[in-house]
Amino acid sequence: MSRPFDSMDPKVMDDDMLKVAVVEQGPQEEAGQLAKQEGILFKDVRSLQLDFRNILRIDNLWQFENLQKLQLNNNIIERIEGLENLIHLVWLDLSFNNIEAIEGLDTLVNLEDLSLSNNRIAKIDSLDALVKLQVLSLGNNQIGNIMNIIYLRQFSCLRTLTLSENPIAEAEEYKEFIYAYLPDLVYLDFRRIDEQAREASKLKHQYSIDEMKHREALMRARLEDEKAQRQMLEEHKLAFIERLNGPFLFNSMYSEDVEGNKLSSLPGVDELLETYKDKFVIICLNIFEYGLKQQEKRMAELDTFNECIQDAIRENQEQGKLKVTKFEEKHLLNLNAIREESDLPNIEKKLIECSDDITDLFNVLMTLEMQLVEQLEETINIFERNITDMVGLFIENVQSLMAQCRDLENHHHEKILEIAINTLEKILKNEMDEDLPDDVRALFVDKDTIVNAVGASHDIHLLKIDNREDELVTGINSWCAHLLDKIHREEIVRNRKRVKEINQYIDHMQSELDNLECGDIIDI
Amino acid sequence: MEVLREKVEEEEAAEREEAAERAEWAEKMERMTKTAEVSKEETIMTQDELRDLEKRLTSIEISIPAEYSFINKSLIDVTKLPPSYSTNSPKEEHLLQVADNFSRQYSHLCPDRVPLFLCPLNECNVPKFVSTTLRPTLMPYPELYNWDSCSQFVSDFLTMVPLLDPLKPVIKEEEKAMPKKYTVKPPRDLTSKFEQEQENKRLQEIKNQEEKRLREAEERLLAEEKAKPDPLHGLRVHCWVLVLAGKREVPESFFIDPLTAHSYSTKDDHFLGIESLWNHKNYWINMQDCWNCCKELVFDLGDPVRWEYMLLGTDKPHLSLTEEDEDVLDDDDDIDNLGKEEEDKSFDMPPSWVAQIEITPDEFETRCPNGKKVIRYKRAQLEKWAPYLNNNGLVCRLTVYEDLQCTKVLEIKEWYQNREDTLELKHINKITGLATPPPPPPPPPPDPVHSYKSMLPEMDRVMEFYEKIRVDGLIKREETPLTMTEYYQGRSDFLSYRHINFGPRVKKLTQNSAESNPRPMVKITERFLRNPAKPADEDVAERVFLIVEERIQLRYHCRDDYITSSKREFLRRTEVDSKGNKIIMTPDMCISFEVEPMEHTKKLLYQYETMIHLKNEEKLSRHQAWESELEVLEILKLREEEDDAHMLTISIYDTKRNEKSKEYREAMERVLHEEHMRQVESQLDYLAPFLAQLPPGEKLTRWQAVRLKDECLSDFKQRLIDKANLIQARFEKETQELQKKQQWYQENQVTLSPEDEDLYLSYCSQAMFRIRILEQRLNRHKELAPLKYLALEEKLYKDPRLVDFVKVFV
Repeated sequence: MSRPFDSMDPKVMDDDMLKVAVVEQGPQEEAGQLAKQEGILFKDVRSLQLDFRNILRIDNLWQFENLQKLQLNNNIIERIEGLENLIHLVWLDLSFNNIEAIEGLDTLVNLEDLSLSNNRIAKIDSLDALVKLQVLSLGNNQIGNIMNIIYLRQFSCLRTLTLSENPIAEAEEYKEFIYAYLPDLVYLDFRRIDEQAREASKLKHQYSIDEMKHREALMRARLEDEKAQRQMLEEHKLAFIERLNGPFLFNSMYSEDVEGNKLSSLPGVDELLETYKDKFVIICLNIFEYGLKQQEKRMAELDTFNECIQDAIRENQEQGKLKVTKFEEKHLLNLNAIREESDLPNIEKKLIECSDDITDLFNVLMTLEMQLVEQLEETINIFERNITDMVGLFIENVQSLMAQCRDLENHHHEKILEIAINTLEKILKNEMDEDLPDDVRALFVDKDTIVNAVGASHDIHLLKIDNREDELVTGINSWCAHLLDKIHREEIVRNRKRVKEINQYIDHMQSELDNLECGDIIDI
Repeated sequence: MEVLREKVEEEEAAEREEAAERAEWAEKMERMTKTAEVSKEETIMTQDELRDLEKRLTSIEISIPAEYSFINKSLIDVTKLPPSYSTNSPKEEHLLQVADNFSRQYSHLCPDRVPLFLCPLNECNVPKFVSTTLRPTLMPYPELYNWDSCSQFVSDFLTMVPLLDPLKPVIKEEEKAMPKKYTVKPPRDLTSKFEQEQENKRLQEIKNQEEKRLREAEERLLAEEKAKPDPLHGLRVHCWVLVLAGKREVPESFFIDPLTAHSYSTKDDHFLGIESLWNHKNYWINMQDCWNCCKELVFDLGDPVRWEYMLLGTDKPHLSLTEEDEDVLDDDDDIDNLGKEEEDKSFDMPPSWVAQIEITPDEFETRCPNGKKVIRYKRAQLEKWAPYLNNNGLVCRLTVYEDLQCTKVLEIKEWYQNREDTLELKHINKITGLATPPPPPPPPPPDPVHSYKSMLPEMDRVMEFYEKIRVDGLIKREETPLTMTEYYQGRSDFLSYRHINFGPRVKKLTQNSAESNPRPMVKITERFLRNPAKPADEDVAERVFLIVEERIQLRYHCRDDYITSSKREFLRRTEVDSKGNKIIMTPDMCISFEVEPMEHTKKLLYQYETMIHLKNEEKLSRHQAWESELEVLEILKLREEEDDAHMLTISIYDTKRNEKSKEYREAMERVLHEEHMRQVESQLDYLAPFLAQLPPGEKLTRWQAVRLKDECLSDFKQRLIDKANLIQARFEKETQELQKKQQWYQENQVTLSPEDEDLYLSYCSQAMFRIRILEQRLNRHKELAPLKYLALEEKLYKDPRLVDFVKVFV
């Protein structure tokens, strides 16, 4: 592509260039004078035009964080880059450049109008983040595969599309294909789509569209399914009883237990294992259900607490607002009176009155705040006690259930040990009827070996149970600690904020009064 | 005066109607149920009851009944009444004698009871037996078929039906939620309990005193209102209506108060006793003790021990025995039955002497006499009008007074109907000059309620508008002489309130622009609702334009968790700095208080832009306010016009009022009438006068027929000639007069004044016109006369009476 400015030297997007552009495009006349006086911050700029500047590389734009409209058309840009910070961008014009691939737009979620026409783009992709996209211009590029259209199906807001002067636009079916596959599109290549033509195309492509829709629906269903499952697991995790609603723990006990697995091939162990598993899973389920219930209870408790706290704060706020409003009414009258008063001693008297009013207001507001702090503190302490108790109870009960698991394991261990010793005896006496796998038989050399093996298996099991228990206990304890910490911290922040607000307000009032004083004295 | 007369008449009318319908129904019911009734005999006491459902009850004023006349004779034009009003038929005379006899016996037997109300004087001062004043009449209005709507109609003629007590406002106590687990404890109360107690005591005392004072005042007022205990309690007698149980599914006897149309149980405490009762057939005297009001009375008129009847056997007084007999005798023909009954009666009631009542649809719709009715209540007055009576659609006006004497008006409510602007209620509050209206009805017209002290502009006034009807969302506009307050709803800019303070009008020196010299605006206050799309710090809650001071105050909305809100005040001063440059913006032109200090608002540019924006807004607001003022003027003008000329909506089914259909109908009637006239003309009998000369009843001879024809023709000829002569005579007379006048003119031409000359000229032209017309008529007559003559001749030849005789000679 030959351009008249190709011969010119590429320019760098540096601060100076940006500053000049900003001032040029900024406010004019009186406002302009002010702007010049003060300077304009890049982050206050909403719209920026940088066309016909021979820019090669997009750079230095990170400060324009509130930019909504950016025009970079008619440059020699080769890559889309450096736009990550411009997350408020709505309008982006990159037409008439040398861009070859769509990229670097993943953070521009607010983009509605994107122009990439007259570039060298061959494939439409990397636009997934642009969920609000309404207008897409890709005219005069090198898009050749009609399947690129399918990619655009995901943009539900897309109404205007330009793809003319691309290889695909020469295809016979080009328009029909787009009509059929992008049913919400209103304008194609600067023309309004004719409803009749659209219907005709739809009919023509109905079969494949239906099939695609079906596939899309399946995909969506699967994604939703997965999402739901993830959500469920998250919920269980919040209750600290995740994966206890099945044989997961039991299976994990055996997953690393080599000896245990070997021993399971002993005669009689199978049935034993079966009953053991059943009982174990039942206990796990108990823990699971209990955990869910407890979680529900804790949440309800937390909700009530939050609600009450919010109520108290709101009520206190209302009172504060009322006081402030009343004060303001009175204060305004007083100020007006002072302005109209001409007698100096009277003015002074009134000023003192006003000042007293302000001090009174301060005292009242601070008292209100202190009251609230006390109230909240007490309530928070009660809540703390209650939630700690609840957590304690939960842990206790879970521990007792876990102890049942251990009992089961101990019992099972004894049985296995018994079977193992019996088998050993049989082997030693050569009374063994069945064949045992070699690696299993290797365990039965002497009593120590087999006892050790069984013991090792038992230890692993116990360890797994202990770990799960620890996990749960630590989880809930740290949750509780975090929660309480958060509540306390928030209360402190709230208190600070309010005190700051009151002080700020009072200071403002006082300084206003002082200003009035000065002004009056000067006037006189 | 007129009203009273109509009242009485209508009352009677209604009584008669009721009696009639009841009687009819009763008969029907009887017939229908007779066969099945044998088992129910105990419940149906006497046949009287079956026959007469409706009885009149009466006793007498302390004065002698014959002298008592409740009709003011001067009100009624006695001469126009039918003779039955002024005379008594022999039968009636006889009845009067019977009644007199009965009355004497009664006073002899019961000397301690008040004389009977038997024969009051009617409007012509003629004594009439009470029963004969009742004439059962069936009216064509379904509304009058049932006792409740019928008595309502009657009561509308008599007095007002008291309305229900205005509903007392129900104060709903806000439900206090159960304290939740973590509800914060109320702040510690550190005030001294003792001091509080003392204070409470003091307050209580003051309150007690206040209460005592109030109570006393109230008692005084009550005492005033409540008249002394009625000295005539139990001594007054009234007439009211008794409906007996039995027919038309009336399960229990009950009373109707004709003045209020309310029904009362016979056990009601207000009815202290019954002296006697009557219907259009008989008269009964109560022989039961009324010590316990009417609660224990047995309304079995067939029981001669309890009810002494005056006429024997008009209606079977007793009961079942005869009824059984009758059951066997009659099952079908009622008239037959009546005839039989009449035969064995010793004396039957003469027919009613009153004229049959007639209620035209008009009168029925008007309901009240003259369509207007005034009812006075304690501290209030209600006026009712028939629909369409007032051409402004006014149908009801309630005036509430402050005092018992009804001199100080508290408020006036006016209800309208059928208005094209669908105004339904006008509410004028005399005390505050303002009022709150009830919620508007579903179809929203432009301006539902308008309360005001005066229709003059710039006075106290409240206008309310229907929600959603106005594009600008205005729902209410209040005005006082120096302010205007507007309330908005549902606007996209969240404006909810605009308050404008006006200054005194500045007298313009040059009064060239006379039409509008608006008052200067001093201050405009606008309030906005929270716009959830903006952060609270940037969402203006209130802006005040102090126009004279060039000051703009902004107050922003309060953030959720804050108690103070940001404020900003702009003060525009156009000043010049030391170098003579214009100062655009200085920090002291914008004083801000920000709850959470922000960076960008510190910039002069931001402040400048905000100020410019606000200046524009100020202009817009001022313009808006000015437009509002204009609109008020417009509305007031419109209102005035409306008040002058109201258009009332008329249903297309209202044939009487719907002008179009009326015109159409009248046109149809006219066409019919003309058609009829033509027919009459065509049937005009030319021969009648000549036939009358012949001896009646004889057959026409040929000779007679020919003579008849000739006579008829010659008569007609003569008439035609006469007519021609008449026209000729008139023509000549007119010509002569004209000639005379012309002569006179020529003689006096010199001395005539221009007026006289004009007069003469106009006379001349008129006379010439008349002469020409007469000439034309004469010519036309000359042309037509032979034709007419021939036509008659032919008609006569074809006349069926003559055709046989005349034809031969043709």
